[in-house]
Amino acid sequence: MTSPIVDFHVIKEYSNFTLDCQASFESGVTAIFGASGSGKSTLLNCIAGMIHPDQGYIDFKGKRLFSSESGEHLPPEKRRFGYVFQDSALFPHMDVKGNLMYGFNLTPEPLRKIGPEKVADLLQLSGLMNRRVDNLSGGERQRVALARALATSPDLLLLDEPLASLDGGFRGVIIEYLNRIRRELDTPIIYVSHSVSEVMALADQMLVLKQGRPVTYGNVSNSLVHPGLAEIADYATLENLLEAEVMVVQGSDGLAELKIGDATLFAPETKRGPGEKVMVSIRAGDVILADEIPPRMSARNIVKSTVREIHVLGSRVLIYADIGTQVIVEITQASLTDLGLKVGEDIYLIIKTNSVVVLDAPR
Amino acid sequence: MEILPVIGLTLQIALVATIIDVPFAVGLSWLIIKKRVPGSFVLDIFMSLPLAVPPVVVGYLLLMLLGRNGPLGGIIQNVFGADVTFTWVAAAIAAAIVSFPLMARTIMVSMRGVDPVLERSARSLGAGPWRVLFTITVPLAYRGILAGILLGFVRAMSEFGATIVVAGNIPGRTQTLPLAIFSRVQLGDDDMALRLVAVSVGLAALTLALHNWLLERSQGNTEAR
Repeated sequence: MTSPIVDFHVIKEYSNFTLDCQASFESGVTAIFGASGSGKSTLLNCIAGMIHPDQGYIDFKGKRLFSSESGEHLPPEKRRFGYVFQDSALFPHMDVKGNLMYGFNLTPEPLRKIGPEKVADLLQLSGLMNRRVDNLSGGERQRVALARALATSPDLLLLDEPLASLDGGFRGVIIEYLNRIRRELDTPIIYVSHSVSEVMALADQMLVLKQGRPVTYGNVSNSLVHPGLAEIADYATLENLLEAEVMVVQGSDGLAELKIGDATLFAPETKRGPGEKVMVSIRAGDVILADEIPPRMSARNIVKSTVREIHVLGSRVLIYADIGTQVIVEITQASLTDLGLKVGEDIYLIIKTNSVVVLDAPR
Repeated sequence: MEILPVIGLTLQIALVATIIDVPFAVGLSWLIIKKRVPGSFVLDIFMSLPLAVPPVVVGYLLLMLLGRNGPLGGIIQNVFGADVTFTWVAAAIAAAIVSFPLMARTIMVSMRGVDPVLERSARSLGAGPWRVLFTITVPLAYRGILAGILLGFVRAMSEFGATIVVAGNIPGRTQTLPLAIFSRVQLGDDDMALRLVAVSVGLAALTLALHNWLLERSQGNTEAR
């Protein structure tokens, strides 16, 4: 087990709500998940140093940032944490480049690990540098906000619902970039979200908060099916956000072909070119399970998978199926009984072409 | 009587009053709106008092403070060997205090319009509180700040009650436009009084026009965001 990145116990009282949470976050991407008003943003702001907890302590890699006992409170500008807000909070009186350079210029030279060119390259901003921030699209704004935070070479990246104000297509694009940041930089990330689907797509661990108190903390797949989550999580809208590679833009039947995991799936269309990566959304409830290939049917996608886990959550059943990547399928308890599914068995996933939604807003 | 020296003295006194006010108005607005220092509520009321009390009260309190036997006046007497009351400096101080609330309150409104998320964002990017004030808050509120400065200036130009108590009405030394109009009216010199009134109205209208134009643009700016 690795040593914790962030270790804390914070208590913050408000007139109608109290945050009281203790946890140790490991490296990688940690999601703080909860309904609105659960205290997740308050917790993030405590870690960032924007909110002063009433009691407790916050350590980052063994260094004390806050302690109510000793009165220590490292101000946010000294913590070196990048913070990305839901509505991007770009400085309206500067252009894209001005925003990008603001934090970079304030970063002491020996601490600069990544330069503005590299950041602009990573988030593909070079064409936007001289644009005013008020004529950027939602997705572009969020990319600039990410770039601005990364340009300070932060020791930790804090993301407060960065996808919440974006529409579907742009959401997929930002997830692509976040995955890119994850792969190319070893910056730990804390990600606040109220969407299980996003957490599944992005996080390694998750902390679940309910009315200011932790419900569970651990690996995302396990936490997702924790009984405490049932009333918070939007299982009904649970979607698989999967990375795909475009194989064929428009085949002989007019459909796009995408490689997801080891499988090739048909989708109605894509604006991306062959070989390009794109995010795809498949609702867990839109996948049908069958123990043999039906002789004739309209759905175009039939994929053989292996059942890895079966979780019964009241009347809902979540099946974790493996197609080279994990796909969550939601069925009813009656279907589970009928199919007699067991872990380790093979099963066919049947997905309509129209249920494979390509999130390919322009980058 | 010559009009030009009166205009000159009026502008000089109003300008000095405004220059005295600006750092305090920006600083206090920042403390009250952005830092929310303890006691902000009381501070806000205290700095707005000159707007609510009759100017003659301000003048009288200043006279007691700055007079030869007053606590501040005694010190000034010792250091500079001169009396500050009944000089243009006293007139400038009186104008500064009376016009302060108008300037500060306008600046407070414009600072409140700057989204705190932008300031927090700047903090997370490594900027300390002072840098945030001068690179984010002030640039984003600058039209409102300029409007507040102009409003303070226009009020300083028209100051009468406090000035006549602490600086008197000495032609060529402390007689500003409003005081000169008062003297001419008392002397029954309607012709001169009306000419001074015209100048006074013209100067005020010009400054207010500039103020309104700035404020309109500043509101347009927040809407666009």
